[in-house]
Amino acid sequence: MSIEAVPASDPIKQAAVVLPWSIVVAGSIVGLWIILALFAPVVAPYDPTAVDIANALKAPSVAHWFGTDQVGRDVLSRVIHGARIDLLMCLAGVLPPLLIGTTVGLLSGYYGGTVDTLLMRLYDLTAAFPFFVLVLAIVGVLGPGLLNFFIALAVVGWVTYARLVRAEVMAIRDSEYVQAAQCLGYSDRVVLLRHVLPNAFGPVVAYAVSDAVLVMLAGASFGFLGMGAQPPLAEWGVMISDGSRYIRQAWWICTFPGLAAISLGLGLAFLGDGLGQLRRGQVSA
Amino acid sequence: MNGPLAPSVMAGRPLLDIADVSVTFGNTRVLKNVSFQIMPGEIVGIAGESGSGKSTICRAAMGLLPSTAEVTGEVCFDDQALQGLGEAEWMKLRGRDMAMIFQNPASHLNPLQKVGKQIAQPMIRHLGLSGSEARERAVKLLEDVGIREPAMRAKSYPHELSGGMKQRVMIAAAISCAPRLLIADEPTTALDVTVQAKILELLKDLNRQRGLAIALISHDLGVLADICSRIIVMRHGQIVEQGEAGQIIDAPQHPYTRLLVDSQPGRKQFKAGWAQTEETPLLQVEGLRVLFPAKRDIVDIFRNRKAMPFAALDGVDLAVSAGETVGIVGESGSGKSTLARTIIRQNRAASGTVKLGGRPIERLAGRELLELRRRVQMVFQNPYDSLNPRMTALETIAEPIWRHGMADRREALNQASKLLDMVELPAALGERKPRQLSGGQCQRVGIARALALQPQVLIADEITSALDVTTQAQILELLARLRRERALTLIYISHDLSVVSSFCQRVYVFRSGRIVEQGAAAKVLTNPQEAYTQELVASLHRLPGHVVERENIER
Repeated sequence: MSIEAVPASDPIKQAAVVLPWSIVVAGSIVGLWIILALFAPVVAPYDPTAVDIANALKAPSVAHWFGTDQVGRDVLSRVIHGARIDLLMCLAGVLPPLLIGTTVGLLSGYYGGTVDTLLMRLYDLTAAFPFFVLVLAIVGVLGPGLLNFFIALAVVGWVTYARLVRAEVMAIRDSEYVQAAQCLGYSDRVVLLRHVLPNAFGPVVAYAVSDAVLVMLAGASFGFLGMGAQPPLAEWGVMISDGSRYIRQAWWICTFPGLAAISLGLGLAFLGDGLGQLRRGQVSA
Repeated sequence: MNGPLAPSVMAGRPLLDIADVSVTFGNTRVLKNVSFQIMPGEIVGIAGESGSGKSTICRAAMGLLPSTAEVTGEVCFDDQALQGLGEAEWMKLRGRDMAMIFQNPASHLNPLQKVGKQIAQPMIRHLGLSGSEARERAVKLLEDVGIREPAMRAKSYPHELSGGMKQRVMIAAAISCAPRLLIADEPTTALDVTVQAKILELLKDLNRQRGLAIALISHDLGVLADICSRIIVMRHGQIVEQGEAGQIIDAPQHPYTRLLVDSQPGRKQFKAGWAQTEETPLLQVEGLRVLFPAKRDIVDIFRNRKAMPFAALDGVDLAVSAGETVGIVGESGSGKSTLARTIIRQNRAASGTVKLGGRPIERLAGRELLELRRRVQMVFQNPYDSLNPRMTALETIAEPIWRHGMADRREALNQASKLLDMVELPAALGERKPRQLSGGQCQRVGIARALALQPQVLIADEITSALDVTTQAQILELLARLRRERALTLIYISHDLSVVSSFCQRVYVFRSGRIVEQGAAAKVLTNPQEAYTQELVASLHRLPGHVVERENIER
């Protein structure tokens, strides 16, 4: 039987892709946080670092929706400003490993050979350690701080992207359109960037969104442990860590940043999941 | 080959009676009021292209449609109405009285079970045989379907068998309970032609010896004409014509049947643009050997054992003159695609050389290599896989033009739309991506892309094997026109000797990496010298009647 039957279905019907509900819901949660972060100075009712000892440890009220912390800073304002740091952290934690990993995976998948074998052994080695333990060890060596945290993430994170891209590239490398591109005399750079990469990138995007969750959680945890963001920065992890000492008198100090972290984390997780679904759906369509 | 069965068996009551059956999936009606009958002991062919509903009607008869399908009309098997049967009643019928075999035997056999056991299963279930009895019978059945050393083969797993043997195993399992009706859905499409002939012979024997009625579904009218007494032609979910095999082939009434008959490979000669053979060949292949390294596993490496490389091409010599159309024929694994890939420098030769215009291509680099790319282009086999899914048809065709600096990007798009017109695609399709195009349309885009650099030599590697016959005929006609207009030198690679001989001037027959026979296409087809070529020719299912001679296909 021939393949002729496939496009017999109406092409216009194929163009209208139905978005899974998870993407819509998760997308709006993530979108909301991004908007809040972008317009934080406008949206936040107070200055996040303004100390007001007279109003310390006040419970949530009309004036302070999320209450105030031990030195009288408005928790709501701090949560909104914290979104800036945590989202930036996601970006800074995801982009470098994504770029490094994609480049390495693209080259090693396309050319193969000894370098490819060595890189894959390096992957096995990295994958043998638990993610957090390895990041913690590297930060421990380099010293606490956000920059060192991102360096550690890049060192550990790129291998997963490399592996992902490499697998895709190896399948695409043998496809007839890549052979056709080689046969038409295009340079390796053109073949890789124009014909291979765009078709290998789908799973990377889906994974990157899920990876952002991991980075955010790692960032918050490291902030909590005092290894990442340092106080008085309004970072959610740092805020939880700070507030945990007052949890008996003032539950709101660490609860609200915690909820913020959960909602952004869930939003990103579902978004990544939905994107993956969408991609698989498109492949089978 | 024996003629179709005499119509005398057609007397009496029909074995399978399909009356006014329609099938609807959601809003799409895939079958519209289909009615036909199959008599006991009869072989009926159901012909049609993909999407014509020929498989759907047979699945409807077997109760194998998904629950989302809405079926109306009546299906009777041996006077028993089949509608509304419960799953338990179906199970009594399926495999017992009605059996089915499929196109791809590999995906219908359980890879984890020995084939003997798989053949024994329906007998244990339906005939109540004991395990050992059933296994004994399975061995006997394997012998019946022509498998040598059946006792040993019964203990094999599916992956240890060739495609033809797997199909024989499927047939053995299907006939194990002596059914009265066998539905065969494209049983030979995935097989090489010589194997195909043997499987059809087997089906014919089963029909004659056991009185087994067979519904044979195929896109290949030649196959049907060879073994069926009646043929039903379907299109768009409807029966357009049914009748005696001879009448359908020789005097088709419906225009579509006529088109289908005319599109059969070998019915039409495509002589347009055949050039006179010149003295100095444009492309020469001399003593070409291409080796693929065998996989060495870790034990081999430790023992320092050298892996024996596999010779995909072993001492091949051929020559192609400018303007000539040369066919390369062979079954899968014969090395014909390796040859194409070596000519376009995707493979390296172990020894021997390929010369274009007298110059060896192996050591070309930089500018000279680009020059080679411009002179030799290729069209690939799989219409969907050969186009970048993220680029529109127009972008795909325009890209080589501007990348080779033959025009700027805007001018390249202009030229691309002219090429689109040249391959007879409407301009509106230029904005579409491959998945919004049909297979035939994709293949036309592939041809336009290959011609964008105005090459001298065009290699076509099985470009129509994934297409329906009518589409295949259209693509061949297009190629015939293009080679005349552009004075192309064509290397046409195919497993189908009848296509090659109707389209090419000269033919090389490949087997296991060597050329076994060569010569003028007509001569190889009518008077093959080598045993292997004779076998190939004998396994062709050509329609009866003379080849329609046309001097030139003018459009």
